[in-house]
Amino acid sequence: MIPTPIHPKLDPANPFVGHQSRNQIRESFVRWILRIGTLIIVSVTAAIILHIAAKGAPVALSREWPFVNVAFLTELPSTLHVIQDHQGHIIETDVNGADAIKMQLGANLREEKTISYSGGGILGPIVGTAMLVIVSVGVALLLGVASAIYLSEYASHGKFIEMVRLAILNLAGVPSVVFGLFGLGAFVLTAPVFTNTPLDRAIFTIPLGFTTLSFQGWDTCVLSGGFTLAFVILPVIITASEQCLQAVPLEFRETSMALGATRWQTIWRAVLPFATPGILTSSILGIARAAGETAPIMFTAALAFKDKLPWQKDLVALPADASWFAHWEQSIQRFLAIFTESVQALPYHIYTLAARIPQNEYSERAQYGSVFVFLILVASLAATSIWMRRRLRAKYKW
Amino acid sequence: MLVSATSPKQLPPIVELRGVDFCYGTHLALHNIHLSAERNRVTALIGPSGCGKSTLLRCVNRMNERLTGARVSQGQVFVKGKNIHDADVDLTQLRKQVGMVFQKSNPFPKSIYDNVAYGLKIHGITAKDILDDAVERALRSAVLWHELKDRLNQNALRLSGGEQQRLCIARAIATNPDVLLMDEPCSALDPIATLQIEELMQQLAHDYTVIFVTHNMQQAVRVSDYTAFLHLGKLIEFGDTEELFSTPKQKLTESYLRGTFS
Repeated sequence: MIPTPIHPKLDPANPFVGHQSRNQIRESFVRWILRIGTLIIVSVTAAIILHIAAKGAPVALSREWPFVNVAFLTELPSTLHVIQDHQGHIIETDVNGADAIKMQLGANLREEKTISYSGGGILGPIVGTAMLVIVSVGVALLLGVASAIYLSEYASHGKFIEMVRLAILNLAGVPSVVFGLFGLGAFVLTAPVFTNTPLDRAIFTIPLGFTTLSFQGWDTCVLSGGFTLAFVILPVIITASEQCLQAVPLEFRETSMALGATRWQTIWRAVLPFATPGILTSSILGIARAAGETAPIMFTAALAFKDKLPWQKDLVALPADASWFAHWEQSIQRFLAIFTESVQALPYHIYTLAARIPQNEYSERAQYGSVFVFLILVASLAATSIWMRRRLRAKYKW
Repeated sequence: MLVSATSPKQLPPIVELRGVDFCYGTHLALHNIHLSAERNRVTALIGPSGCGKSTLLRCVNRMNERLTGARVSQGQVFVKGKNIHDADVDLTQLRKQVGMVFQKSNPFPKSIYDNVAYGLKIHGITAKDILDDAVERALRSAVLWHELKDRLNQNALRLSGGEQQRLCIARAIATNPDVLLMDEPCSALDPIATLQIEELMQQLAHDYTVIFVTHNMQQAVRVSDYTAFLHLGKLIEFGDTEELFSTPKQKLTESYLRGTFS
């Protein structure tokens, strides 16, 4: 009988075959591939941030106290006038200053350039983005937490729930411009409003006697944009909230039920209090997402340019002897205008500066300044989220 | 197999199972259980893992029914003479009468006071003085009052394992139930904490009827007045603890007690 030859690799007599075996070479090859992939990501991220910081920091920051370019953060955008004289002096000014300077220079005026939107600051876009974020996160939290509670605590497993989950997953994959068109159709053009004089474009109207419920849309305004953005971030909020609810130990629910609590009492007293920190933390990431979206607000809320803040709406001046009721009514109007006016928003402002006006050094400056401020805002939101999560993790350990 | 407690019954049993079958979907977990627990006595449920002792315990406050497909398919469960599956039974009120303590001590990450007051608040008690009284009474019953009276606002998770479990007992008895169910209350505790809980269980029997599950036969001997031995979903033997352990009537009980299987 011929003994079966032992394969050299399986030779039992030699357990410590050289340290450069093929397996080890393959191992270090794979490790390097993975390491390089990670390094590429890190360096691209660093490149983006450095590029923005290098170009944007000089605009948004300043060398003297308070080290921030206050005007850039507190003024509304305006048209920049750049005036050059024959000696090569360059003067930057706004529309009001331009005439006086031109008069002063007289025949010495060599050239005047006007660059849209590139003067002043970016207060309008910052305020607009803040308003949009407040509305969208408010709406998304209400809807998202409600559906997360239903999915996690009430719904029994079945075909219907599978479909709901699939729908949420799909919602996350919908391109954001589609949300924009949906918002245009649903909120701008059809959402219901109470009005005494329905527009002709209303799809239908329901007379209520004292007023009419007219499905004529909310127009382009913070409300329309906020609701549209809410649907963009809804999948994030639902998924995160559901995870936070699931993370609360099952024993809390059992104990609570065993003490005679109803299901809602259990959720309200023994589940939600411990899930809320997590839900709020992850909703901050939703804020960053909502603040950054451009397409959904293009048709629903954002303007390329607006020379007023949302609450500076033109209202009919009241006569001197107006009743307190008229004053009260007007202040309500002024408050509501915050939500019913269209606004400028940071991402759309950046898009306008970068793609809708002729490019030159001045528009580029405004553009990088806006991007830098935007990046700082989003980064600080993300940092707050991480910091909060750390703190709350330490506090709510079970 | 019909077995019942041998002792003379002066009082009607507070918990009584009559021919109970329990299934999880199609799996029959308990079959034809006849069992009664006397008022102010400690009853132990013993048996190998998976024999259905926890399921049996959870039948008494209908905690099993949270799972879909889990139900009592035959027989009745009576608590204080009332069939707990009657249509007019309010589950929350049943559970107010039948408290439960779980295997893993699981206080809420709230203050000690809020933990004990939880059940009372659930049942709509909001008056501060009533809550204060009830919390003190519950903590005294659980022999925790002297340890904890000065730090009622401390987070309950900072307590030791044994203290946490006694806090859970205090939480369960704060609503003043008649029956206290305990599902392996000592299995996660060290010997000293276990001893404290065992002593507490015997004290609690003065005011409550205690039914507990244990995988530790010696614990049943130390603590209980009556013992029920279950095997594969059937009640093999039920009787006075001393009698059951000294002269078991069933062969299966005898071999389990001898350690032939576990």
